[in-house]
Amino acid sequence: MAQKKVDVLIIGSGHTGGMAAKILTEKGIACTMLDAGPMLNFEKDRELKPVYELPYRGFDAPGRLPHVFQASEFNANQWVDEKTIPYYHPPDQPYNWVRVRSVGGRSPFWGRQSFRHSDYEFKSKDHDGFGENWPISLKDLLPYYPRVEDIFRVTGHTDGLPQYPDGKFIEDNSPWSGAMQRFVNAGQKHGVPVTKARSSLGKDGMAASINLVIPDAVATGKLTTIPNAIVRQITVDKNTGLADGALFVDRLSHREMVLKARVVIVAAGTLETTRLLMISNICNSSGALGHYLTDQIYGAGIICSVPEARDGKGGRGLMGGGALIPRFRNLETKSNGFLRGYAVNVSCSNGPFGARALPFYGKELDQKLQSYNGSSFSTNIMGETLGHYENHVTVNKQVVDAWGMPTLNIYTKYTSNETNMAKDYIDTMSAMAEAAGFDILVKNYEFNPPGYSIHEQGTARMSDDPKKGVVNQWNQSHDMKNLFITDASVFVSAGWQNPTITMCTLAMRASEYLAEEMRKGNI
Amino acid sequence: MKRRDFVKGLAVATATASTALGQQQSGAQAQNPPPAANAVDQGTMAVPPSAASSPQAISRVQRDAQVRTPNIPVSQPDVVAVTEARYFTPVRFATLVRLCELMMPASDDYPSTIKTGTPEFLDFYIGASPGEQQTMYNTGLDRLNADSMKQCNIPFEKADAKQADALIRPHLKGWMNDHPPVEGHVRFINLAHRDIRTATINSPAWAKAAEALGERTPGVGLYWHPIDSGTQTWVNHGMAQATPTTKQKHS
Repeated sequence: MAQKKVDVLIIGSGHTGGMAAKILTEKGIACTMLDAGPMLNFEKDRELKPVYELPYRGFDAPGRLPHVFQASEFNANQWVDEKTIPYYHPPDQPYNWVRVRSVGGRSPFWGRQSFRHSDYEFKSKDHDGFGENWPISLKDLLPYYPRVEDIFRVTGHTDGLPQYPDGKFIEDNSPWSGAMQRFVNAGQKHGVPVTKARSSLGKDGMAASINLVIPDAVATGKLTTIPNAIVRQITVDKNTGLADGALFVDRLSHREMVLKARVVIVAAGTLETTRLLMISNICNSSGALGHYLTDQIYGAGIICSVPEARDGKGGRGLMGGGALIPRFRNLETKSNGFLRGYAVNVSCSNGPFGARALPFYGKELDQKLQSYNGSSFSTNIMGETLGHYENHVTVNKQVVDAWGMPTLNIYTKYTSNETNMAKDYIDTMSAMAEAAGFDILVKNYEFNPPGYSIHEQGTARMSDDPKKGVVNQWNQSHDMKNLFITDASVFVSAGWQNPTITMCTLAMRASEYLAEEMRKGNI
Repeated sequence: MKRRDFVKGLAVATATASTALGQQQSGAQAQNPPPAANAVDQGTMAVPPSAASSPQAISRVQRDAQVRTPNIPVSQPDVVAVTEARYFTPVRFATLVRLCELMMPASDDYPSTIKTGTPEFLDFYIGASPGEQQTMYNTGLDRLNADSMKQCNIPFEKADAKQADALIRPHLKGWMNDHPPVEGHVRFINLAHRDIRTATINSPAWAKAAEALGERTPGVGLYWHPIDSGTQTWVNHGMAQATPTTKQKHS
């Protein structure tokens, strides 16, 4: 049998797999990128439809995606089916594992919020004594963040806040609407910075790996992309102890294939990466693999109405826009009851008012909806959850997925740190909304289950110490110098920030390091 | 001997195919027809390379590729048919019908829940739902009826607007997405309200009313079709092997 060998195998084509492909191929290194899912065809796969044409009038098939709160009948087919690739969590430890399996991963569908991490995250242990520091600081990523922000075309406003590091922005100098200005002013009185949000504009309506980075790799002529390739195992050379390729199966036919590679980059997404490493029984000399699973709490918030905007009185400029409140707790002073902090998404809408916020029905509700139309103001939390060793995943060999791969057991729960954080958030936002003269209709202290944020991080964390981490500061496995992990599984702490820009920055840095090591012959 | 028979078989097949297709195709095309059904089996879907790449074969495939879907307007079944209610008991269904009438009565411009088939749709939907949701509805409808009997001495389906209001209003609550009220009956009233509104506003009859008013079609969204869905069929029919084939040793 003829033996083929590729230079670099990249497992996963999401944001970080795509970034690795771009950087390495632009440096002349041939890459083969496998993705477990099919190639998307936007023209064929989706169309505009009115909801009344859908079989379930928008409800979607009952019980189809119980763990994907983001699912609707419109988008149900884009998520991984929970029966095809099941997972387990104890009934009292719910976990919403929200997955996509198509080329590009979750990158065509993300929320676009684009933030840098600060040294409040990178050196969090120095700051409050909990957990571990990252083996890097903001300074180490400063050469890379601007390049990533350029690729993603990040809009934002330069604020000069150390917890919300400024970036290379398409500057947002848009004025606040009247209601937003009132909220900003209320924030100033409460010592809460209300600032402009930061978001990736991307290009041509998308900010995904498939339109921002993979095309650059394709243009070099050095990228081979194989969809429908489910990697079952990363293989190891018995003589060297190094990774030497992968076994994968074709998603549709189940044909088994063997691929040999000089270097392996695992970019399958936090929990799929960890699952694969565990099934392959590699990269765990530290015992840290699978542990310290974190994310952010989402879902708690307030819903208000701006009285001056009701009954059509709003007028131009009163409503509209949004804001981001970056972490403001546990910076210079210690908060009572919780460590770390939270950010807040603020929305001020001149669109229809949500009926569920109004405790009325029938004609009275119709009248209220007409009156409240265009007066909606709401907030939502993004709070850092602590990375506890006990929040972990294991592999279940008794329950396999449709391709015979052992599935994951996920054990994680939030603690009083998150509960107290959510209480502080609701109380603070309520005080600000009242000071701004808004009517508060709903206060929700309850946050969504772990995993809901789709920001799962950790389980293959970074450390300088091979006894404490799975990878070093270059995303390189401590156990196999030719294996790199580029997704958010390497994160040491969650931060309050959406992880995408930092993940891509780390992937860019790791790829350039890898390229140099290959050039020197060290790998 | 075998080879001569094989060649003879091909010639027969070619002649037969030529005759069969000659009536359907022009003379030029009949010179390179596809193999007939009784040709010697050369493997599933195998065609002689010369036939596959012949100008006539290519032009036939290209012509097939240019076929466009005829524009035949289609309708939703609700336009001509009603859903048969079969899940809720008669009492519960009657309670649900009354609840629907109260939650979303007809307006001047838009149809009532009865006209949109909302109770029947919910009967179907809840009947197919996980147990937790069924229990919530069954318990909630029973409680409404029991409260009505207790306070007004009549079943809920007969309660007038004022009587029903006293049974519904105390349980209404504003809530945030993903976080409906937790307490049993309050949860039912608010979620049922949401479901009734959704099933009504998203119905074909509602869309028709919007169209008659000259308004935009409600609820237009970007629908994702199943992406390369072959896998599910294989999985469901057990045709794919989840466990790897036992590997034989090769010398």
